[in-house]
Amino acid sequence: MDDHHHDRNFDALVIGGGIAGLQAALDLGDQGFTVAVIERDASVGGKMIRLSKVFPTLDCASCITTPKMAAAAHHDRITLFTYCDLKSLQRQNGRVHAKVVQRPRYVNADKCIGCRQCEYACPVMVPDPEQGGFSATKAIAIPFSNAIPQVAVLDPRHCMLCGRCERACPTGAVDYFQQPQPFSLTAGTAVVTTGFEMTAIADKPQYGFGKVPNLIDALQMERLLAPHGPYNRVLRPSDGKAPDSIAYIQCAGSRDKSMGLPYCSRVCCMYAIKQAMLLSGALPLADITIYYMDIRAFGKGYEQFFQNAQAMGINFVKAKVAAVEAGPDGAVRLHYEAQDGEGVTTADHDLAVLSLGLVPAWDPSGICPLTTGADRFIHTPRPKLGPVQTGLAGIFVAGAAAGPKDIVDTIAEAGNAAMAAGQYLTAMSPSAASRAAVA
Amino acid sequence: MTTASRPKGDKILVLATESCAYPGADSVGQAHSSYPANVYILRVKAPALFPERFYLDCFDKGIGGIIVMSCGEECPYEGAYHALAKRLDRVYQEMKARDIDIRRLRLTAICTVCNRAFLNEVNQMNAVVSELSD
Amino acid sequence: MTQANEKPDAPAAKIGVYICHCGGNISDHMDVEAVRRRAENLPGVTVARTNMFMCSDPGQEQIAEDLKNGTVNRVVVASCAPSLHEATFRGAIRRAGANPYIYEHANIREQVSWVHHGEAATEKAAVLVAAATAKAGRLKPLTPIRVPATRHATVIGAGVAGLSAARDLAARGIAVTLVEKSDALGGQLAALDRIAPTGDRAADLVNELAAAVLGHPGITVLTRTEVIATDGYIGNFKLTLRRRPPEGASTADARYVPFQGVRPPEPSDAPSGELTVETGAIILATGFRSYQPRPGEYGFGEFSPVITLPALVRKMAERPAKGRLLQIDGRPIRSVAMIHCVGSRQIPGIHPEDESGHLNEYCSRVCCTATLDAADRIRRNHPGTRVYELYRDIRTYGRGQEELYEQAARDGVVFLRFEADNAPQVTTAAPGEGFALKVKVADTLTFGETLEVPADLVVLATGMEPNDVSDLVEMMKLPVGMDRFLLEVHPKLRPVEMPVGGIFVAGTCQAPFDVTEACNTAGAAAVKAAALLADGQVELDPFVAEVDVDRCRGTGACVDACLNPGALALVEMEVGGRTVQRAQVTPALCLGCGACVAVCPENAIDVCGMTLGQYEAMVDAILET
Repeated sequence: MDDHHHDRNFDALVIGGGIAGLQAALDLGDQGFTVAVIERDASVGGKMIRLSKVFPTLDCASCITTPKMAAAAHHDRITLFTYCDLKSLQRQNGRVHAKVVQRPRYVNADKCIGCRQCEYACPVMVPDPEQGGFSATKAIAIPFSNAIPQVAVLDPRHCMLCGRCERACPTGAVDYFQQPQPFSLTAGTAVVTTGFEMTAIADKPQYGFGKVPNLIDALQMERLLAPHGPYNRVLRPSDGKAPDSIAYIQCAGSRDKSMGLPYCSRVCCMYAIKQAMLLSGALPLADITIYYMDIRAFGKGYEQFFQNAQAMGINFVKAKVAAVEAGPDGAVRLHYEAQDGEGVTTADHDLAVLSLGLVPAWDPSGICPLTTGADRFIHTPRPKLGPVQTGLAGIFVAGAAAGPKDIVDTIAEAGNAAMAAGQYLTAMSPSAASRAAVA
Repeated sequence: MTTASRPKGDKILVLATESCAYPGADSVGQAHSSYPANVYILRVKAPALFPERFYLDCFDKGIGGIIVMSCGEECPYEGAYHALAKRLDRVYQEMKARDIDIRRLRLTAICTVCNRAFLNEVNQMNAVVSELSD
Repeated sequence: MTQANEKPDAPAAKIGVYICHCGGNISDHMDVEAVRRRAENLPGVTVARTNMFMCSDPGQEQIAEDLKNGTVNRVVVASCAPSLHEATFRGAIRRAGANPYIYEHANIREQVSWVHHGEAATEKAAVLVAAATAKAGRLKPLTPIRVPATRHATVIGAGVAGLSAARDLAARGIAVTLVEKSDALGGQLAALDRIAPTGDRAADLVNELAAAVLGHPGITVLTRTEVIATDGYIGNFKLTLRRRPPEGASTADARYVPFQGVRPPEPSDAPSGELTVETGAIILATGFRSYQPRPGEYGFGEFSPVITLPALVRKMAERPAKGRLLQIDGRPIRSVAMIHCVGSRQIPGIHPEDESGHLNEYCSRVCCTATLDAADRIRRNHPGTRVYELYRDIRTYGRGQEELYEQAARDGVVFLRFEADNAPQVTTAAPGEGFALKVKVADTLTFGETLEVPADLVVLATGMEPNDVSDLVEMMKLPVGMDRFLLEVHPKLRPVEMPVGGIFVAGTCQAPFDVTEACNTAGAAAVKAAALLADGQVELDPFVAEVDVDRCRGTGACVDACLNPGALALVEMEVGGRTVQRAQVTPALCLGCGACVAVCPENAIDVCGMTLGQYEAMVDAILET
């Protein structure tokens, strides 16, 4: 791994270093091709490294993601470029050209040894986005414990330039004057693995997000459940009480035309069931209710997982929650139409979780002439036999960039994208292929 | 080598095959089930590796019980299970000759998801070992 | 009581012990510092450290530093199950310039902190660390075995996954033999009409893939062929195939047969009988079969208007007609009831097991969308035919599928939802009622009201079952899950790999998939095979038997006990001026099972990396700690 590699020509570019990008990069690198991974965040690992455990095996997410992150970082033929914005991705003369700007970390990545002395010295506490905003980090910090690379990042919005980090740093890596670094990369092919973000629920006033204190989103719950989470146990944010009753609101930002999101986000049923199972382990006495429209447990072992959750006593209520508001004593009040004939019903829960849907994390417009579908995910013109093909020859797509997808399906698709990209390189440049063959 | 020595300890040794029983034991852990802490699991490719005297030496040294957790009929090494079963028969004979309770040695098949079977086996062996040490 | 031939290592072992907190997964349940202190005092241990995440970069870096500066020359990591991170730490050691086989793993999460707590956990972790340390002191550096690999792959099954994998591998310059049991290419895809939600014609997809495969000079297509024996190992498999002779005359051209697939050209000199193929990797793409309802299940086999969804699709495609009413077998259909989850999502205690004692507890993934597509097609082409969908959950999860669900509702498909323990009942209608059948259902969408749906046709949305590949499972030692599908090593870490090196899975032999997903798994399997065969040689683990020729007396006991013919043999060699017989191992064939170790009267053979002496030392450590 080397952010300042001098060879800026590669066989393949991978845009996005989440689980899809890492798998695609590894499968390309293992075939003998050289790969550059361009990642927007300060660490690779994507959404997966931020999760607690993953369904249906309940493996800890970090345990599955870290080996792939480390394998990519240490791979002879893979170069990771983190904290980078992609400004342009174009095809010219049979090559793919990328213009990239590395944002300033205000820390020299070559000098930083990840010792965290700067973090300990920094007097400024800021809400930690990596912990769902529930706990604090410093204005200069390693992004999270298992981040790759282990390089500190200074947040200029909160830094007060007191100079303590600079003095604390044993290697003189802090650089308040660091500038954005533009650079160019060229390659024979590219794989777009830009992933997803969660639905912006501010678009949905009925869920009153931001105003209802104990209504959190599922990624925040992932942090509460994570072994290295903000409180080391599950507490509700408003008053630190251990919740006795927890609600999951399914299809919050999916299958919802009022938000312009008519599609199914494919993972929310399973992650809600998974979180409910983990919660029933963490809070054995709590009542957990999942309000759902259809339970979509379609993958290998998923239905059995769902059946186990029912056997564990998790309540499944078929109902679309119409509105959420703050109730008494920090409760979250749900209004829903029950299917048992009682009409519009209300229920109070100590804590409620919005099972938010998935929206694309990247809009190619103005950067790359890739087309998107009505759902704004990358358009795949041949979804049956060529699910990783885009409208542009030589540019492939995998994972949630081409529509919501769980981790298992994402990893398979990333492998397929690496296969398609490898084939394209073989066809375009037999020399690259033969170099790969003897690598 | 001493004879007629009765194991005194309560430590239970599990010889678990790397393709079936060892991941099965991990699966018990993933389910956060609990079992006696005197159970020590050694990962083996195939228990066919161990000669008769290995088992007898273990008892001599003070191991209270041994469970051989094989893959059973799913064994990836064709014929290994058969060879193992025959060998353990000879170990049983030798245990009788040395006045070691033969319940201290069990051969069983555990798969990667056999959580309940795994727990049964270790709990039963634990009961045998504590009964015999009374 | 360590075995006498266990030679102490020349330079004394300097063991580093590294104990992981696993972010609380371990450290919340035991006193990690106490484990570290006890490890520090063990014989041979030069350093004992802890880390929040040993698998993280800083954790690995710690090991590398200690190796590089000579503090340690043997490594023990106490962390999660070795299946997760043994390879990670071996990799870290290799990158530090050391031999990766000086490593031993102590499993103190899955086998300690997640099953025991408090002092008992601390004690057991300390004992396991001591045992691992005792073994580490006796580890020798090993060299991986490199064997030449045949740049050829064999794909078994020519459905969409097999065709796709064969095409992909050939495009990467790897020769492929594609083996298919039936006489046509296309598998279950060929049995379909249009593929929802895009409306692609199955025939077009089959033709496109078959043309690519038949047109590629690097692909040998063998239909009517079965694998009857396998031999060899990763990179160097030898398959024995049996090919049935063609039934018809020889033909020069490929031919598409509706609902069967593409029959390849049949030259007069085509091979038949027994063939052998030398191949470096195997991709299993043996696919699924459609669930066949039990006699009487929802009236199937009892009432002729009860048919399966595949039968409906075929009947509609073979006689495409518009008109107010759908016609099936010459009968006008005024009302269709389509029942979901037939042979899928079965629940113990509610659904009866099949004759072999199995339940299909899984969701078959594709039936909801396929049923909705058929329903909507009926509503659009035959507006007089009413369509009822009786479902448990509608699982239109994929891109464009939810839109199809909405469209079907807009087009007047009526949805009724039932609970698994209160399934619809199909009975004949009374003579005066005008319809052939009626379906009684307690509809939870209308508060559990019992409704009677009149039906001229009942369609059962049957799920997927894996094809019976018990012969291949037996021959290749493949693991099968509780659901009877082939079981991958790990769904996320190694999702297309079988535990036997060089064997991969693609498509619906692993789990139900739609066409898109089957293609993705095929590409994922092909890319693994391509990476494996990229440079014409395969690197294998060195955990194989090794003979100590100084001790060997040539008794041949090991050769008799050996489970893999060819791996061990007695050979003549010169020792001290005399020609004697001694055992010799062929490493690439050795399974490393150790059956030879147990029988050697001279203790002259052992398995590298897991010697009897190492196990004995671990037992001693367990007893003495």
